[in-house]
Amino acid sequence: MRLFRLTFATILRRKSWAVCAFAVVALPFILPEFSMASERPVILQPARIQATWGVLWICALFWGLFTASRQGESNARSGLGEYFLTTGVGAPRQWFQIWLAVLAYIIPLALLAAVMCLGFALPKDSAERTMWWVLNFQYVALFLLAVAPLLGLAIALASRFGGIAGFTLTLGLALYGLYGVGYLDNMLKEGSDPLLHTIWQFSPQYRWADLTQRLYFKLGVLPPPLFWKTAGYFTGILALYAGLSRLIFRTKSVA
Amino acid sequence: MHPATQPLVRLGAGLEIGYGTPLARSEREITLEGGTHFLLARNGRGKTTLLRTLARTLKRVSGEFETRGFTQYLPEELRFDAELPAATLFRTLLPKSRLDEAMDLARRIELDTRKPYGRLSTGNRRKTSLIVAEYSVHSEAANILLLDEPFSGLDAYTREAFETIWHSENSRVLRLVSCHPDYDAMPMPSALVIESGHIVHHASTGQTWSALKTLLN
Repeated sequence: MRLFRLTFATILRRKSWAVCAFAVVALPFILPEFSMASERPVILQPARIQATWGVLWICALFWGLFTASRQGESNARSGLGEYFLTTGVGAPRQWFQIWLAVLAYIIPLALLAAVMCLGFALPKDSAERTMWWVLNFQYVALFLLAVAPLLGLAIALASRFGGIAGFTLTLGLALYGLYGVGYLDNMLKEGSDPLLHTIWQFSPQYRWADLTQRLYFKLGVLPPPLFWKTAGYFTGILALYAGLSRLIFRTKSVA
Repeated sequence: MHPATQPLVRLGAGLEIGYGTPLARSEREITLEGGTHFLLARNGRGKTTLLRTLARTLKRVSGEFETRGFTQYLPEELRFDAELPAATLFRTLLPKSRLDEAMDLARRIELDTRKPYGRLSTGNRRKTSLIVAEYSVHSEAANILLLDEPFSGLDAYTREAFETIWHSENSRVLRLVSCHPDYDAMPMPSALVIESGHIVHHASTGQTWSALKTLLN
């Protein structure tokens, strides 16, 4: 696991993770002060929830994907990938170790967001509290299942096509899955276009991993069958992206 | 039978290396064992190509070769993250049991292990890479170190420090070192020379760069 340790130390040294951690902890308190919540205390907690998870998504999609791309690119271009390859660490293991090192920063951030929601937006009603715990757990699980494959793909794409391609392609894919698919959904409701329907079917539905509104409006936990079905869906995407990443990932640049 | 702790590199007769088309060929079988072997050639003749082929990061054009031992290929352009100091690199990449030795060598060759890698001079970056490779060697097994231009940018004192290490750890480590020597008296008892498309092994006690360089013209 030498490459994991090296990648982990590299990210740690850059310190930008601290900005993300600070944002997840501090912005949920700061941002509501600039919204209507400052005048209506009753919506302070929902505003805090929205800020917490919103900041987490931004950190994961911008900082996470950028970091993953940067590590994938530098591994291939710095000669490190080739060095590790000669020591017996093959391409799949290199990809996995870099991915694990990036995830080692994203997982605590997700847990931190859940802790913020549990610590500073916990409902007073005991029945709601139980649901709150479960829903936050569900959110963390689905969030990680959605983001982790994108990080892996960013590493692989960046190792072959460069950091900018790795970052922009995966960010675009994530934003499309979070917001674009929703627009597509609305278009399909207005008329049934077979082409649009096919595109919709093969689109990654990342919006299903975004449970912010469910927390915001206290809609209760995801029913277990739906949760497991959604988790299964994202696990399928994980398997697909892992396979794709295996094919795309390079240990050394062609040029 | 070759013992498991004895490294070996064998280039079969007819081995051709290159990027698609042959760049160099070994006419006879060449066998290298533990110790230091130099790889000499003029620019563009195939030094890096041979090292990459032996490291298996580049396919041979034709023929066969064999390597036995834990292999490390140190590319000439290898670089670490600019913000990581050498001390962190050593802590993350080297086994704990060898960390003190590595730090001690770094002190002796005046490598500032607290300075970020990106702010080190070319020579000091080279020192960092070499220390990583040297102290990643598996002490109980056979090792092959393929070093591409490790001396570029190094001062004479540092070079001597590494050569001393190489002389003291002879049998379990096979080092194939590509370089452009800069003094005639440099001892090279074993050298692979690539010239006119041929890979030839020259081995003789007392052999120096002075004698070998005439083969490159």
